[in-house]
Amino acid sequence: MQTFRAGFALPLEELRDEMDRLWTSLTAAPPLHGWGTERRTGVFPAVNMRDGGDAIVIEAELPGLDVGNIDINVTADEVVLKGTRPEAAGQPGNGSAAEASVTWLRRERGAGAFERRLSLPVAVDASRVEAQLVDGVLTVTCPKAPESQPHKVTVRTAS
Amino acid sequence: MSSSLTETAPEIAGRQTGGEPALTYQPHVDVCDTGSSLTIRADIPGASAESIDVAFEDGVLSVHAKVPARELPGRVLRQEYGIGDYRRSFRLGDGFDGAGITAEYRRGVLSIDVPRLAAVRPRKVEVRVAPA
Repeated sequence: MQTFRAGFALPLEELRDEMDRLWTSLTAAPPLHGWGTERRTGVFPAVNMRDGGDAIVIEAELPGLDVGNIDINVTADEVVLKGTRPEAAGQPGNGSAAEASVTWLRRERGAGAFERRLSLPVAVDASRVEAQLVDGVLTVTCPKAPESQPHKVTVRTAS
Repeated sequence: MSSSLTETAPEIAGRQTGGEPALTYQPHVDVCDTGSSLTIRADIPGASAESIDVAFEDGVLSVHAKVPARELPGRVLRQEYGIGDYRRSFRLGDGFDGAGITAEYRRGVLSIDVPRLAAVRPRKVEVRVAPA
């Protein structure tokens, strides 16, 4: 009988542990890519990319990040955006003493580490890549390598 | 202290004025009640302090940020997000000090502090030791 009762209670204990874990995670900042199971889950930051003729331009929205929070690594055919979005400084919820007395009414902005690899359609000159971060918008300009620049072919007249 | 926050539909007011851009987004927000005030943080990348309107009227706090178009040149290789204005508003309820609201824009994040009126703030009462 004892065995039966222990076996019966075990799933309930597991459920309670699971609920405890869920509860803890709900009061923390959400992951950067959100809770949802949509197509974009796991993708942060979202990027826009253009082929501007002589350069590939990548833009990403990274609100709350400082230049020190972002690492950009470029090879000939890949750009890697890596970094961490910190929880806002001075905001209750990141272990400050005031945390116990605050109530979260909305918590939609994610925090944490991210890494995004973007393959480039053509070879770029990694040494001339420039990046700027203005008002939470990151723009990375990757000039194309000389061999991937468009060439104008002169057509000769057959004599 | 009771905390209530209701989302309101700002589009109805905005639609009348016309001239709205085709794309308007709801920013992601964190709202935190500290007892003495509500702290709101909204992700509004690409705006500027001058282009953001924060208004508090009849207990409704509304944020409208104009984001200038920034068209990247060339052929589209990836398009994962759109660029447009941000709008969102909340009914905060009574007991807030509209005149004391402060807002700050930094690194694409708008932070708003809405203080409660002194009369409705939670007070900590100190318990004294009664003289023997």
